[in-house]
Amino acid sequence: MASTACFIIVSRNDIPIYEAEVGSAAKREDAAQLHQFILHAALDIVQDLAWTTSAMFLKAIDRFNDLVVSVYVTAGHTRFMLLHDSRNDDGIKSFFQEVHELYIKILLNPLYLPGSRVTSSHFDTKVRALARKYL
Amino acid sequence: MEEYPEEFRSPPVRLVALVGCPEQHGLISTHFLSQQPPINTLALPHFSKLSLLLHRSSKSSSSSSAAGILKRDWLVKHRTKIPAVVGALFLWDHVSGDPAQWVQVCSDLDELKAAIRPRNIKLLLLVVVGQSDEISEDRLLALRKRAEVDSKYLLLFNPDPSQLNNSLQRLGASFAELATTFYRDEGRRIKAPIEKKNLSSLDLQVRYCFKVAVYAEFRRDWVEALRFYEDAYHALREMVATSTRLPPIQRLLEIRTVAEHLHFKISTLLLHGGKLIEAVTWFRQHIVSYKNLVGPPKVIFLHWEWLSRQFLVFAELLDSSSATLQSVSSLPLGTVEQPLTEWEFHPAYYYQSAAQHLEEKRSSLELAVSISEAFNDNDDGSAESVVQSIYIGQFARLLEQGDDLAMQFLTDDEYTLYAIAEGKRFQDSFEIIALLKKSHEMYTNLKVQRMGSLCAFQIGREYFSLGDFGNAKQLFDGVANLYRQEGWVTLLWEVLGYLRECSRKQGAVKEFVEFSLEMAALPISTIGSIQTSKCGPGGPASLEQRDMIHTEIFALVSGEARPISLDGTDDLKDNTLHLEIDLVSPLRSVLLASVAFHEQIIKSGVSSLITLSLLAQLPLSIEIDQLEVQFNQFECNFIIMNAKKCPLEAVPSEQHDHRVESAPSLALVPNKWLRLTYDIKSEQSGKLECLSVIAKMGPHFTICCRAESPASMDDLPLWKFEDRVETFPTKDPALSFSGQKATQVEEPDPQVDVTLGASGPALVGERFLVPVTIASRDHTIYAGEMKINLVDVRGGGLFSPRESEPFSMDSHHVELLGIVGPEGEDESQRGPDKIKKIQQSFGLVSVPFLNIGESWSCKLEIMWHRPKPVMLFVSLGYSPNSNELNAQKVNVHKTLRIEGKNAVLISQHFMLPFRRDSLLLSRIKPVSDSSKFVSLPLHETTVLVVSAKNCSEVTLQLLSMAIEVDDDGIEKSWSIQHGGEDLGTAVLVPGEEFKKVFTVIPQVDSSKLRLGMVHLKWKRHCGIEDRSGLTVTDAHVLTKHELPDVHVELSPIVVSLDCPPYAILGDPFVFCVKIRNQKELLQEVKFSLADSQSFVLTGSHSDTVFVLPKSEHVLYYKVVPLASGLQQLPRISLTSVRYSARFQPSSAASTVFIFPSKPHCKMAGITDQGLESIIAD
Repeated sequence: MASTACFIIVSRNDIPIYEAEVGSAAKREDAAQLHQFILHAALDIVQDLAWTTSAMFLKAIDRFNDLVVSVYVTAGHTRFMLLHDSRNDDGIKSFFQEVHELYIKILLNPLYLPGSRVTSSHFDTKVRALARKYL
Repeated sequence: MEEYPEEFRSPPVRLVALVGCPEQHGLISTHFLSQQPPINTLALPHFSKLSLLLHRSSKSSSSSSAAGILKRDWLVKHRTKIPAVVGALFLWDHVSGDPAQWVQVCSDLDELKAAIRPRNIKLLLLVVVGQSDEISEDRLLALRKRAEVDSKYLLLFNPDPSQLNNSLQRLGASFAELATTFYRDEGRRIKAPIEKKNLSSLDLQVRYCFKVAVYAEFRRDWVEALRFYEDAYHALREMVATSTRLPPIQRLLEIRTVAEHLHFKISTLLLHGGKLIEAVTWFRQHIVSYKNLVGPPKVIFLHWEWLSRQFLVFAELLDSSSATLQSVSSLPLGTVEQPLTEWEFHPAYYYQSAAQHLEEKRSSLELAVSISEAFNDNDDGSAESVVQSIYIGQFARLLEQGDDLAMQFLTDDEYTLYAIAEGKRFQDSFEIIALLKKSHEMYTNLKVQRMGSLCAFQIGREYFSLGDFGNAKQLFDGVANLYRQEGWVTLLWEVLGYLRECSRKQGAVKEFVEFSLEMAALPISTIGSIQTSKCGPGGPASLEQRDMIHTEIFALVSGEARPISLDGTDDLKDNTLHLEIDLVSPLRSVLLASVAFHEQIIKSGVSSLITLSLLAQLPLSIEIDQLEVQFNQFECNFIIMNAKKCPLEAVPSEQHDHRVESAPSLALVPNKWLRLTYDIKSEQSGKLECLSVIAKMGPHFTICCRAESPASMDDLPLWKFEDRVETFPTKDPALSFSGQKATQVEEPDPQVDVTLGASGPALVGERFLVPVTIASRDHTIYAGEMKINLVDVRGGGLFSPRESEPFSMDSHHVELLGIVGPEGEDESQRGPDKIKKIQQSFGLVSVPFLNIGESWSCKLEIMWHRPKPVMLFVSLGYSPNSNELNAQKVNVHKTLRIEGKNAVLISQHFMLPFRRDSLLLSRIKPVSDSSKFVSLPLHETTVLVVSAKNCSEVTLQLLSMAIEVDDDGIEKSWSIQHGGEDLGTAVLVPGEEFKKVFTVIPQVDSSKLRLGMVHLKWKRHCGIEDRSGLTVTDAHVLTKHELPDVHVELSPIVVSLDCPPYAILGDPFVFCVKIRNQKELLQEVKFSLADSQSFVLTGSHSDTVFVLPKSEHVLYYKVVPLASGLQQLPRISLTSVRYSARFQPSSAASTVFIFPSKPHCKMAGITDQGLESIIAD
């Protein structure tokens, strides 16, 4: 499992709708608040890259010191962004795919307004379990 | 990049030396510099100087194997001191001169050779010859032998202008060749031990590789240079764990410094060769391999500084390199294992990283400084007199021992002290800001907003830590805007925290309150949020922190407490703090005011309901002291007092000009609408709009909130997607979807009647009168104005070009002719200010002052030119009050539909005289042109019957009917049988027809003859009740009807039947047929007579006769009637051979009445007379 991992879901209108620190290591205090800044800044590249490929998993698209940003773009242009320091590409891909399925289940909920914040604690638990499994 | 010495930054330039003949040096060295590649020249006037230059210090060579990796001055020595080629110039005079001179030349040469041999410097002989000199091969050969050079390296140099260019060219080529040879030989010499792998230490391997690479660079062999730099670099990397020569800190320092230099060379060469991807990959490997070589904690800051410098230098290299990537889309994203990201090709990324590492350096330096101060037991002079030693990346203490200077190695502790002392001298913050600014600028130029704002945020943070709050605030403001827009709440919280602190430090109370309120109203989610202890000055983004900020602010504004010292907040006591919240303000979530009128239209003076709803997203509930609602109509403003805090009696007196309401509680609970419903009444018609709601909290704090309509209200941008209970601003959900903050106030109901008293349909042509009565019920009428409009029922104007009727003068089919005032009112009595304006379909007339109960009437005269229904619009505008000029106008509207109809329908037909037929050729053989018209025979009488039918619903009285001819000179002749006086009593009831007979005798042969117009004068029949005064004027109406054009032609043959008007059974009578030839040609006429069973006749049945011109042929038949009653005479049919035309008199013309016996009444006389007259015609 990666020592640092910050996972965030950004809706199609660029608003973060879910965020979680899923790293195992003790949080580096000064770095943690930077994670969101890095992820936000990486959106610039995502919006360029998303249209150049038909793949959903965009691999590592940005680098910040030893941290890498990996992105997965769904068909509805919701972006799953993971800031991590591990090199486990396959694990990240599997993680994204499983989270995508979870996200689709959230979308199928008639009470969920697409684009609004994901507040389901079930989703949260599942995502953290997946992070432990794959990252 | 600037901190590297010049010799590292630029590619090396070959160096040659010239000795002797100083007057020629300038010329030659200039030429060498301009060559491609250039050659630097050392010009030595005298031979003895060279040996000084090339003097090799003995002690450095002895200790070179162990002390360090690279000598600091080695490169500069080879670039500026040791030439590759020495060119010895001799004058031909000296060479060819007397023995003393030759001996001198030889000794110089020997000295030179001795000096250059140890370094393998190449020698080139130049003999300067004059124009007139005789060249002797012997002496040259001798010189060459003496110098031991190849024959091609002995050159003649002719400074004469004609030969100079040639000489220089040759010289340049030879020098370049020799220089290349020298550097290659040197390179080979040093390369040999590397290839044999018999070097004693890695130090030497690095050094030799470096030298080989430099020699390759001299030769411009970039590929080999790169290879050996890389070899050196790799060898150096291996030294990290193995070398033990120096104490650990300094050892690492040296390795890092050398690696830095090597890396710089490699990157420069790669970028120079346009290998951008390789350069970036190389850089990344460089960083990866040295990143973990942190060193002991005391000197970690050196590591960060070094890393930062790597990034900075690479950024500068990329920035200045021409090998920029053209576009992002063509980016080959590295290898599979190590994909390169887009930013790694932009210098901005490296500047940013450099700044980040510099930040790390600063923090670890601070740590190191504090540690060193804690153990401050060293003498202060230990850091002094430390200089860079002769090896790159080494430091030594300079010891003065009398005149001698000696280097002493430092211990690690000494070096650490020195490094910390050095580090303290620099202001890293400014450096960081400069780097970030550069990066920010580049990102902005690339239109990469988010990266740009990350940089801006970092700059702002740096300024903040420096205490430059003005700059910091400006940057944070820009960043906050982006995060607000994109809804990154956590980031926004962070930035707002800084902004809040900035304004607190600057003493800007209003901004401080604004930012604090915005922070308090942010939708910070409680689950999954990132909790850190070290975050911005706003504290961690959490609900508790929001509560804290909220409490702090409301304690401040209520004046209860001063929570944290704010510079210059004393003025809060004296001045009021006023916040404006408009539709785009981020503070909308602090207080949102929605105002809805319950009615979309309200009557003036009638009270209606208005609902005022307030919403706050603050974490705690707040209590409002007083609310003021402001409208665009000033009189409607009202104030709502909080009954708990301020009883109604305690309202200050100056507020009594507004209505004051009291509400039991004005507490705003988070995320719950506070709904207040009040009466509202407006006296003034027009738009009534609620502008703003001002909430007053505490003695000095007011928030002015722009009112919004619930129907068009935007969601709060940040709260929109939050998980919260959504409620409606009004109790009635329908009102929430349709409610508006503005309403229309109607004008008061008119108290005046307008009556349009028209009866029946109007008839075309008459002046139709519509009486209008204005009767005042409860309003006096001031400045009354009546507008009249005539509009087509089908819409559109009364003038309709789409109907393809001929354009006539009366282009308006219905026209307003005038307005007739009431009886007794004269035009002269009207004041000059009275308006009366009449146009064809529009009229404007002023109405005089009318008191209550009075009335005024007038009549509208309207004329129809065409039958058409129209709508008559009459609108009366008046003001019920006299005094106000701009008083409210009251309008009354009336409409009436009036049909316009044709009164009479006039038609006509032509008849020929009895028993007289003309052969009209056009009637027999109709030509297409003439068939439209009725044909009339020339000079023959034709009867014209005009009939007028009353097609209206009223009885008409006909006055006269006549045919009027336009006097266009055409001969005509017709007689009127009945005079106009006959029509005086002709009254036509609806549907009745009136006929009048005219006789027409055409005089002119014309294919198209105008007959003229029928003029019919009529008027409405008054009958018994006299209503004419009401609806129509007395005047008669003239209706015109155009008679159709006729075709007149001469008929060649006229046939008339002659027979008595009656006959008696069994009594024979003569029946003759007259055939008249009107032409001047002989006419052959065939005729045949058909037998009739009622008659017995004598005469020829069929024959051909010739009728002479202008004469008449008569056929006589004697017939005896055999039956009584109306009987058909034998019918004759004629055929004109010339015209091949056959015609037959009509059957009506050949009918006669047969009496059974002689009648007994006395009518013979009359009949005879009638007969006579017909025959006489």
